[in-house]
This record gives sequence, C-alpha cells and structure tokens, in this order.
Amino acid sequence: ILDDPDLKDIDPTVLKHCHAAAATCILEAGKQKADISAISACLEDCKLDKERIEQFCTEYQKNKDALEILLGSIGRSPLHITDVSWRLEYQIKSNQLHKTYQPSYLVTLNVENSDSGSHPDVSFSCTMEQLQDLVGKLKDAAKSLERATQM
Amino acid sequence: KLNVGVDTVQHGVEGLTYLLTESSKLMISEADFQDSIHVLGFSDELNKLLLQLYLDNRKEVRSILGELTPKLPSYHNLEWRLDVQLASRSLRQQIKPAVTIKLHLNQHEDQTAQVLQTDPSTLLHLIQQLEQALGEMKTNHCRRIVRNMK
Repeated sequence: ILDDPDLKDIDPTVLKHCHAAAATCILEAGKQKADISAISACLEDCKLDKERIEQFCTEYQKNKDALEILLGSIGRSPLHITDVSWRLEYQIKSNQLHKTYQPSYLVTLNVENSDSGSHPDVSFSCTMEQLQDLVGKLKDAAKSLERATQM
Repeated sequence: KLNVGVDTVQHGVEGLTYLLTESSKLMISEADFQDSIHVLGFSDELNKLLLQLYLDNRKEVRSILGELTPKLPSYHNLEWRLDVQLASRSLRQQIKPAVTIKLHLNQHEDQTAQVLQTDPSTLLHLIQQLEQALGEMKTNHCRRIVRNMK
C-alpha cells in the first residue's frame, strides 16, 4: 500500500492508520459473521457517507466467504490426517526365523501439522486381522457421523 | 544332584538351547531332526526324547524368535470420537465436524498413544483405501504367490 502511486500524496502514518482500521473492522465483521445491515449501521455511526458505506459493503460481500474460510482455519488442533498409504507384503524369512509365510500390512497415515506445516507421518505395521479391526472401527465412526447428520 | 561339574551342565544347557533354536528357526521336519541328532551317537531312547522336546516346544520357540525380527510400531487399538467445533477465537458461529482418533501402537514393549484428527470426507477416503488394501490378499495374484511360496 505504501508503494501505491495513487496514494503517494497522503501521509504514510495516516495511511497506516487507515489500513489498520479497515483491517480491524473487516476482521471483526468476519469473526462475528455480521450481516450487511449490522455493518452499515456501524459505519453510519462512524459518520461515513452513504456512497462509501455501499462500496465497502459490496467489496465485503464479494470476499466474505474467503474471509470466513481463512478465519476458520486459524487455530490449534491435533495433527490432521490428510491421506493414507498402504503396502502389502508377504514375509518369507528373517535371519532369526525362517519360513514365516505371513502377510503383513504397512500403513502410513499422512499427517499435516497446521502450526509448522511439517509432516510427521505415522507409520505402523499390522496383520490382516488388525487391519480389519481398524477398518471396522473407522466404519463405526462413519456410521455414527451419518446418524448424527440425520438428527 | 546331577553329580557332574558346573561346566558340563552349562555346556549341556547351551547345546540343548542351540539345538532347539536352530531346529525351530529352520522348521525342520521330524525326519531331518532325527537324522541330524543321529550323528551325535546318543541312545535311541534319548533321541526319541529329544525329538519330542523339539516338537512340543517348536511353536513357542518360533513365536519368541519372531519377536527378534526388525519391526515397525505395530497396531494395537483405535479409539474414536465425534466432535463438532462451534466457535473459535477467530471465528464465531461455526459448525465444523471432525473425528478425533486415538491410535494405540506397540513398539519394543512400549505402548504409545497418539491423538489425531480428521474430517468426515477424509475418513470416508481412509475407509475406502484400507478396504481396498484388505481386498488385495484375496486377488488371484496374491493367492498364486502364497500357494507357490510354501
């Protein structure tokens, strides 16, 4: 904003104040999910003229959804699972034990950390029975979700 | 009680241990076992006893040896919980469903529990992917390999 040629005649301090004020107003409106009438009323109290209020509100409406998504994504949460990879292997031998002949799954849960953007993936191995147990439990959770949405 | 020196007893135990672990590790057949100990020149009765000892304990020895292989953390249990986020410091009036999961894993006799979270659509994706994984063992390709590897 400080580099914008249209604004170069205005005192930079005033510009910063305006920018901060506008940003605060927009963020508060977004946080409270305020509707247009509430925003207009608030701006009227600040003695802005009708034309400016209308312009502000139109711009706000255009970007409201994007703003809400952005605000909603701020905040802490446990590590978020984004994807899963799996590998099926058939063990035949190890140096400690020959002729094992057992299938085994290697599952990796791709995890995203909203704070640092790092990816501390969780990997583990399991037998077929254990994987069936895992999937069964996940399906229970999904069924519960479905029932909850129908309430 | 046995009237022999300590060293002899120790060697005896070590010898037996080696015999049992090697035989169990290789999963040798009865005939092979008998042939192997025959060269030691023991009495027939002793050979029979040894064979019985091998067959009785083979399974247990193998499961213990199985613990020694290189391993990744293994699955133990999964607990889940449905949450709906209604508001946060930066945004009020939300309805954000999430599934919180506690994954219990075992590694080297330690149990760890990790708390993870996912959204409904990812949950369905996970289920679909893992069901595909389970289905793989039943495909012709895998069945053929399992058959031919024995």
